Amino acid sequence: MNNIEIGHGSGGKLTRDLISSLFLKYLSSSELHSMEDAATINIHSGKTAFTTDSYVIRPLFFPGGDIGKLSVCGTVNDLAVSGAIPEYLSLSFIIEEGFSLNHMEEIVKSIAEEADRSALKIVTGDTKVVERGKCDGIYINTAGIGTIVRTFTVNDVSSGDVVIVTGTIGDHGTAVALARNEFDIETKVESDCASLDSLLTPVFDINGVKWMRDPTRGGAATVLVELSEETNLGIRIVEENIPVREDVQFIADMLGYDPLYLANEGKAIIIASEEAAGSVLEKLHTHPLGEYAVIIGEISSDFQGLRLKTKIGGERPLDMLEEDQLPRIC
Amino acid sequence: MNKTQDIIKAIHSLVPPDRNLKIMNVCGSHEHTISFSGMRSLMPENLELIPGPGCPVCVCPESDIIHAIQLSKKEEVVLVTYGDMVRVPSKKGSIRTDGINFRIITSPSEAIRIAESEPDRTIVFFSIGFETTTAPTAAILETGIPDNLFILSSHRLTPTIMEVLVKDREIGIDGFVCPGHVSAIVGSNAWNVFSEKYNIPTVVAGFEADNLLLGIMEILLQVKEGEFRTTNVYSGVVRPEGNEQARKLLDKYFKVSDVNWRGIGHIPASGLELREAFSDRDARKLFKLEEIREEKIPGCICGNVVLGKAYPADCRLFKKSCSPKSPQGPCMVSGEGSCNIWYKTYK
Ligand code: SF4
Repeated sequence: MNNIEIGHGSGGKLTRDLISSLFLKYLSSSELHSMEDAATINIHSGKTAFTTDSYVIRPLFFPGGDIGKLSVCGTVNDLAVSGAIPEYLSLSFIIEEGFSLNHMEEIVKSIAEEADRSALKIVTGDTKVVERGKCDGIYINTAGIGTIVRTFTVNDVSSGDVVIVTGTIGDHGTAVALARNEFDIETKVESDCASLDSLLTPVFDINGVKWMRDPTRGGAATVLVELSEETNLGIRIVEENIPVREDVQFIADMLGYDPLYLANEGKAIIIASEEAAGSVLEKLHTHPLGEYAVIIGEISSDFQGLRLKTKIGGERPLDMLEEDQLPRIC
Repeated sequence: MNKTQDIIKAIHSLVPPDRNLKIMNVCGSHEHTISFSGMRSLMPENLELIPGPGCPVCVCPESDIIHAIQLSKKEEVVLVTYGDMVRVPSKKGSIRTDGINFRIITSPSEAIRIAESEPDRTIVFFSIGFETTTAPTAAILETGIPDNLFILSSHRLTPTIMEVLVKDREIGIDGFVCPGHVSAIVGSNAWNVFSEKYNIPTVVAGFEADNLLLGIMEILLQVKEGEFRTTNVYSGVVRPEGNEQARKLLDKYFKVSDVNWRGIGHIPASGLELREAFSDRDARKLFKLEEIREEKIPGCICGNVVLGKAYPADCRLFKKSCSPKSPQGPCMVSGEGSCNIWYKTYK
């Protein structure tokens, strides 16, 4: 038996076997081992962040990661940009009958590895199996709980603040687009899929850091358009300063994508006061994930919306896209 | 001060203060660069950069699209064409929504591959575009195509439509920026008629913003001096005589014909059809295709956009019911269409 069967999701013996032979082999929290219906966890007094996300990416394995790693990073990053230290994670699978158990094992392994990186405890989970053709291999849902150590609100964002991005944009979207093999392109680009907590937590201490967001689906432009709408402020970003890997730019040009709208899975956008910007960059640069962190723009009260200052010095508005450039990117 | 800024400065100082000027580009890639680089925001107020007929998808007659849809419904036929074409709307839907047997290709050689792999079916290559895409179609005819491959030619000629524009006083063009790709084939000499016969400053430019700015500056210089010529600022790629071999092939397989342009109407000597000698390859002849009368799309002003008489934003459907996801007119479909470009670059 090398594939998932309907019985693996029935709650009976096959489910138990799967849990003990696979999940408990890699995921070692005591809460999970006790196999209760609900995990008992300790939450510190004070503010707690709680988030959930579902992962339906195609393909399941791509250069730089897989759906398992992504399902941890994505939720960790949602907690981290909310000023929280990730602590607990739930993990649920919806699996298509016939899915390879070897692939399943690879996915669980990378979930375990990524959770360990953030000292994150996976404390509860669920597995359901649906008939062949009713889902595309495997879908994962994770929910995360973290202790808030710093509260960020858009209300603090004001004119004169700077926009920082922690690294090159568009890597994940490009990697996944290429991994789908729909284009006749040989180049490989690695996804930036990574947990950002260790990069961002040190920045929480800096006064003048006002707001953070991880620009996943819809990319950096979408996050910034949303920010400008929420604050009624203008944001001007400078094309020349936006870090884009050469291969990403080349492929984006070829396929007609704009890296500003391509998904990232290991980048954050940070809004900080002009005075704080230096210390933020300094901290980010000491971490491998923040090596290319840079200021890409500024907040202004002179106009509304997001604008791009182009390489020749022209200006044009950037709007939200009507639809994702690439569906099922995370 | 860098070179780009110097050129922009020169443009400002060269523009005559007492009159409005309109410089037209006739290439989707030029319009793309102009819009995406925010070039219009850097121009003097009395200098307009207007997009013209630069998108072959936009001007392909509705009749041909309906024929393509209907051909794809025949059991024995596989229709192959470029990606954008399958999304162009017509009163009978689009190839994508209403066609049955169709495949998207990126080059004519793929049409050959499909024909070879399906010898029992009739492959119809719906071949559209200006001189740039006609040349590769002529090239496959030259190397020989399988017996089951036929061409539905809907090619158009750039210089002819430009001459129509020049004669239209309403538009009032003060300068042409001619497309680098087309010029690489037809040669920069092909545009001499505009500077010599119509006294319109004309330049051939490439697709980088800097090169386009240089072209605009050259046009303004000519306006200032009152001397008109066709200048090639893209001489690394474009030669005066163009690509002679490609031109010879075009001439061998295609002949100039009177055709319709979508949203514009009938224009004599503005299209290309297969020559008699190759009519056994002509899908129009094989299936006896007759012209179907075009129906106006309510509200769509694509015809005027293509002619440079209106900007996309002048259309009341723009960014409302018309968007790249649900294009109401042909100019919203392709990345070379003005409405599509403006959708992404203007509020
Ligand atoms: S916006 Fe749409 S409907 Fe209006 S002119 Fe352009 S394509 Fe036609």
